[in-house]
Amino acid sequence: MARPVASGRRGGAVAPPDPWDPLIRITHWGIALAVVSNGLLNKPGGTVHVWIGWAVMALLAMRLIWGVIGPAEARFSAFPPDPRAAMSHLVDLVRGRPREHMSHNPAGALMVYALWASLAVVTVTGLIMTDGQSPVTIAEQKAAVAAGDWSMLAKSAGKEDDEGGLSEAAGELHEGAANLMLILAMIHVAGVVVESRALRRNLVRPMVTGRGKGR
Amino acid sequence: MTRKGRLQPAALAAILAVQGVAAVFFVGDALADLRAGPAAPHSVFEALVVVALVLGMGVGAWQLRVALDRLRVQDRALATARGTLAQVIESQFTRWGLTPAERDVGFLALKGLDVSEIAGVRGVADGTVRAQLTRIYAKAGVSGRAQFAAWFVEDLLDEGLPAPASHTAPLSAQEGASALAPGHRSD
Repeated sequence: MARPVASGRRGGAVAPPDPWDPLIRITHWGIALAVVSNGLLNKPGGTVHVWIGWAVMALLAMRLIWGVIGPAEARFSAFPPDPRAAMSHLVDLVRGRPREHMSHNPAGALMVYALWASLAVVTVTGLIMTDGQSPVTIAEQKAAVAAGDWSMLAKSAGKEDDEGGLSEAAGELHEGAANLMLILAMIHVAGVVVESRALRRNLVRPMVTGRGKGR
Repeated sequence: MTRKGRLQPAALAAILAVQGVAAVFFVGDALADLRAGPAAPHSVFEALVVVALVLGMGVGAWQLRVALDRLRVQDRALATARGTLAQVIESQFTRWGLTPAERDVGFLALKGLDVSEIAGVRGVADGTVRAQLTRIYAKAGVSGRAQFAAWFVEDLLDEGLPAPASHTAPLSAQEGASALAPGHRSD
């Protein structure tokens, strides 16, 4: 009941934007959806898997470009990777008194970079594994093979012999980085829950719709 | 108004995302074609389309940035105005000597909630709220809800106008009383 008063007072305080800008929200949930579906749901190496992989590459690229040209709190300069600040933020969090930050908090920022890095590794190794073929090509090949044309298959099989070692290493890395990313994502979710509790503020809402009733 | 203002950047960003995904697929396909047959008319055409797509995305990103910046300026102005009004209301409530419960009820009443809604929000009986409102009106010296709300709006409306003397009569009477004691201005 005292909420209208409190929100009025909080007007000028330093806090992450509520809501986050739409490009951040779209890329965030797009990537989250892609990670869940490619990591847990669909068939690894299937056509859908590759389609989603390429889409996620686009989303990641857009977010990274936005990190240079976007509004202040979307830019990398607003959340530089700073392990020491991240540690002190975690200590504050354990004490139950985390400070507000204009963008991602230092610990969250480290998580962002870790997730991006592992996502980039997964994407690049995935490209190596599929020989850089676009999902369009792959789909066409599969259609051709299904129609009884095996020549495509022979061509790609020949190639694989040359780069067998590289492709295998890429495969290992792909799987390892993907698993790492899933673990990081779980820690990320846990971190959001803990921080929301400590700040007594729902941190998910600004990433979805913002302040709801257009207030 | 703010809601509509937020929709535009959201739509821009959504289109940008679709464009980006489409561009990546198209570039991948164009690269495959380029590998198969470089400098073929088909590849040249595809390269052109890629350039157009990327340019379009650049313009879209710039527009999004501009829209977000404009929205931010509006939000800040609105927050400032809102914050100032809230401050004015709070200090006036203090001056009237409202209790904490009465302050809450007063705020909710100013926000346009009716008696049963206020009772619902505060988890008390309608009668309690009605009694509190009556006490608030008495302390503020107003006849009812309309005058209570008008008390704060009146200041905003008078601001910047060549105020006709009759309009500010109740206020200036108040001020006249406190003007006798210097340093005790009633805002």
